[in-house]
Amino acid sequence: MKNTLVIDLDRCSGCDSCVAACKHENQMNLGVVRNHVSAIGPTGTFPDIEMYWLPMQCQQCENPGCIEVCPTGASYRDESTGIVLVNAEDCIGCESCLTGCPYGVRQMNPKTNTIEKCTLCFQRRGDEDWVPACVHNCCCGARYFGDLDDPESAAAKAVVAAGENAHYLYDPADLKPTTVYILSEKTAKWQDEPVEVTRYEKQ
Amino acid sequence: MSKTSLTRRSFVKVSALAGAAAAVGASMAGCMQEAPQEDLAGTGETVPPSTEGLTPVRTSCHGCIQMCPAIAWMKDGVVVKLEGDPEAPVSRGSLCIKGLNQLHTMYSPRRVLHPLRRAGERGENKWEVISWDEAVTEAATHIKDAIDKYGNYAFFSSVGGGGAYSFMEAMTLPHAFGSPTVFEPGCAQCYLPRWALSKLFYGGDDQSVADNAVQEIFKVNDNKTEVVVVWGAQPSVSETAESGRGMAELRAAGVKTVVVDPNFSPDAVKADVWLPVRPGTDTGLLLSWFRYIFENKLYDEEFTKYWTNLPFLIDMDEKSPRYKLPVLAADVFPDFKQTTPENTPAYVCFDLKTNAVAPFEYSAPADSAVDPEIFWAGEFNGKQYKTAGQIYKEEADPWTLEHTAEVCWVPADRIEAGVKLYVENNGGIVNGVASDMTESASQVPLGCMGLDSIMGRINKPGVTMTQKGGGYFSTMTDTGEAKSIRPVTYNNGFGGMFSDMYGIGAVVGMSDAQNEARMKAMAEQNGEMQKRHNKLLVDRLGMKDHKGLYAWCHSHIPTVRNAIATGEPYKPRVWFDMSGNKLAMLGNAKSWYEVFPEVDYVIGQYPMLTSFHIEAADLVFPLREWLEEPMVNMTQLDTQWLQNECVHIGETVSHSIPAAQVVNKARELWGGEIPGGLMPGLLADATEADVKNTAATTLGAPDWETLQADIDKYVPCVTPDYWNYNQHEQICDEDGLPMGFATESRKVETYCQILIKLARTGYPYCYPEPQEACEDYSPICSFIEPAESPYEGAPGYDAEYPFVLTSGRVPYFHHGTMRHAPFSRELFPCAEIRINPASAKELGIEHMDWVKVTSRRGEVHARAYLTEGVAPKTVWMERFWNPECYDASQPNPTGGWRECNVNVLTKNDAPFNEVYGSYTNRGFTVKIEKSTRPENIWVEAEEFEPFMPTQEMLAEAQTKDVF
Repeated sequence: MKNTLVIDLDRCSGCDSCVAACKHENQMNLGVVRNHVSAIGPTGTFPDIEMYWLPMQCQQCENPGCIEVCPTGASYRDESTGIVLVNAEDCIGCESCLTGCPYGVRQMNPKTNTIEKCTLCFQRRGDEDWVPACVHNCCCGARYFGDLDDPESAAAKAVVAAGENAHYLYDPADLKPTTVYILSEKTAKWQDEPVEVTRYEKQ
Repeated sequence: MSKTSLTRRSFVKVSALAGAAAAVGASMAGCMQEAPQEDLAGTGETVPPSTEGLTPVRTSCHGCIQMCPAIAWMKDGVVVKLEGDPEAPVSRGSLCIKGLNQLHTMYSPRRVLHPLRRAGERGENKWEVISWDEAVTEAATHIKDAIDKYGNYAFFSSVGGGGAYSFMEAMTLPHAFGSPTVFEPGCAQCYLPRWALSKLFYGGDDQSVADNAVQEIFKVNDNKTEVVVVWGAQPSVSETAESGRGMAELRAAGVKTVVVDPNFSPDAVKADVWLPVRPGTDTGLLLSWFRYIFENKLYDEEFTKYWTNLPFLIDMDEKSPRYKLPVLAADVFPDFKQTTPENTPAYVCFDLKTNAVAPFEYSAPADSAVDPEIFWAGEFNGKQYKTAGQIYKEEADPWTLEHTAEVCWVPADRIEAGVKLYVENNGGIVNGVASDMTESASQVPLGCMGLDSIMGRINKPGVTMTQKGGGYFSTMTDTGEAKSIRPVTYNNGFGGMFSDMYGIGAVVGMSDAQNEARMKAMAEQNGEMQKRHNKLLVDRLGMKDHKGLYAWCHSHIPTVRNAIATGEPYKPRVWFDMSGNKLAMLGNAKSWYEVFPEVDYVIGQYPMLTSFHIEAADLVFPLREWLEEPMVNMTQLDTQWLQNECVHIGETVSHSIPAAQVVNKARELWGGEIPGGLMPGLLADATEADVKNTAATTLGAPDWETLQADIDKYVPCVTPDYWNYNQHEQICDEDGLPMGFATESRKVETYCQILIKLARTGYPYCYPEPQEACEDYSPICSFIEPAESPYEGAPGYDAEYPFVLTSGRVPYFHHGTMRHAPFSRELFPCAEIRINPASAKELGIEHMDWVKVTSRRGEVHARAYLTEGVAPKTVWMERFWNPECYDASQPNPTGGWRECNVNVLTKNDAPFNEVYGSYTNRGFTVKIEKSTRPENIWVEAEEFEPFMPTQEMLAEAQTKDVF
């Protein structure tokens, strides 16, 4: 079972609706997120430029570094769905898993002193058509969810249709992220080590 | 891109993993463990759905002007979850951040739940709660006293700013009080020019992708669109879940896009060709497309010859009463006998069959006696003439690709690539607010529609200029089915509704005699109302110069401001504003703030207190949020959806009710009738029962209760015969001619001849009694260099202000909304100005530095967002205002409109757009310097905690309707 997200970056317009959908669905505090959207670029020089948006959340790795380094076993993979989760009761907020995850998609929730991460809306797994809130509300129709081991799933079909435009995040440590990003060169060239432009308060 | 100016997040922390890499090879199985106790998976028990215990209510979002169908999930009378309705044909289940964050604005501690009376000085933000009865009586009394003392024109209303649905109410409330004064920061600066010109141009729907007008390109079945040119709009940002989703779908289906935008918007990012035009110079770019199409004979020759007025000879004699108007056959051929009805005049062309000037009667192309030359100039009977096509060609002639590249800052090869993609594929042009916010507000839509018209892209599958069988803004000219009358356009108000109501406004497409007879008949029925309304038209502020505003019965905003300041020609004194933060929305906000003391009494209504209410209002009526207010207006394709009453708290009311209650009370105070007022006057539902039944009947349900009992039966409501094509070619029973278009010539008026008449008399709006003449308006797209030019030597150049500022939306906000939505603000906390890194380097500005932006009107602050997505001399800002500035936690509260508000910078003085009086929100010049964060402005996520819904708000009892 390889439940994961497939995200079509040719469609994604960086509107951040997935972030709001996630935060409301999972009742997150201000300042805490389980996903975010990175602006990659524009690269080049005006007006010969290109860019894309890279929605970031747990990559549902086959070899999750976060589980490997978790000292309490709070980080685990759910057997029935294959999803990487955190058991809040066992989490001691030591942030070890932040070093085990190279993608910056886990965050300490200071109010609960536990780690937040994308669960693919695990609480919705009993729904008739289980999709995470970010997938349901995505304003670009850019997100697919499903079991990549099931060729009939929306996610698996999208990957097949994407052919060589399917990409994975840079993976030098052989974590084997399963999240698939679809990007064709018509939109922009995929960057293994992208330069992300962020908003932050300059000190 | 300059790396020093950007943050390079350690995106992939390879080093942190170096030691762990060997160990990470652990098998998946090794990582697994037993599920926690509460996890029922694998235990054989069924996991309950996440919505267990919740009740779904079908509704529609109203977080922007469009309405995306949505599901509100309720628990114990509280909305706990929102999501898009997957059955919606265009939004398909999408719901954007503006819609989702209604969960917070609905239960925001900033909500106003009861009528408020100002308790301190204006600006002090001190209020006392009063009863509805007191509030309505107080408002009505102030209005009555002012009118009794100073006359009807002492009253004025306004609307606009986001979360405002009171377009009709704001327009008609002054009617009830016998005053001509109403304005909206949108209107001339948003949509009116494009909407109204399409009616005058061809009697059909406009090209706005931002206002629910264009639907054809989003058709799910049988979509014939191959190319969409997005001219000054960003659907993926402004109408994210609907038009944005629609754009994503059509791009995925292989539709090509050309995007004209100074900013590298999401739609520009995805475009096949991006044309980053210098702000305010779109007319030059449009003319370069005309030139390219004329030069290379790429236009649809038959359509242009027979279905547009470009072959008509234009009177070039300055002394002639028909100067600049098309020559009538009867005027130059004394023996000519017109065979078409009087309402379908015969004009004159140069006939290629006979090589002579000849009468050009209206007919089907195949039946035409002449083969009209589109481009001709010459002498006839001793006078010089040009065809309208020739006039256009000469206007476009200087606009070679190279010249355009130099003036408009777009490389020549890109301009050519864009126009080629446009002409080689079926489709059309869509637009948005950009051009409305410049002096070219009429010239740009004339150009956009002009291009589609010479390409013959009207009333055809896959194009954007269509005449659909429905829609909130659609024309009353019902060519949806082959009606047996010649198409006509009613004017004054949406669908020309005031024309029949009061007997004002000529009907375009009727002959002069028919219009005169119609006015006479209506005068016999209701002469007093006709006279009163016509006088309001004549006396309305700013109408002499900007008569296009008549289409929505609005006043010219800068003229209203000056009237308040000087009392000339009369002084508006009592103000009923119907939505939003006027200080964030009105151009040159400081100039408005300065005249507030001149306004005796200010009534506001909104779901929260904005800067405007803090600084100006004396009384505030509490309004419902969209989760509380029943409404039906926008469409998705041929469907209409219900905005439902999911919940209701406090003493809030639907948007139309305060005005209706105040008018009723005023009538009572006057003893039954408002002296000098119009009847029916205000068009507004006065009670929630009326509001609900209006919504129900719009959906075809007999009443609200029946609708609620079986929503799925009535929602969505499908408009029958919505999609129509080639209507102009169908035969009209009345005269056996092709139907044609609802214009004077019965053709598409690419040379918009009626604008000449409009300038001279106010025809067709100010009628039967005319308005004073002004300078003629341009009937075609013509170039305008922005008044504040970045070109040394150009008038309006000032070396102190080297950058051209333009603006646009971000997905988090619609107009002035959502600045108190914490999940929006944590993502986009404060104003930003996009600056090219090379320019920023020269100024010593780094990414995310605070900068001061100064125009000739004022200064504001924003964070610098460095991006190659704008030209080196262009900067781009979103509007902003900051409700945190008057949070109770602030030691030195302010009104929150001066710190980061781009409208402190914008220009509200002349030159205006000639037809609509639009001022300059975009394309003026500024300087930029390093600064520091203004006091009171929040930027860190946690700072927005005071905006989070409180337990008190969530515990607010469900309340009954107030009225």
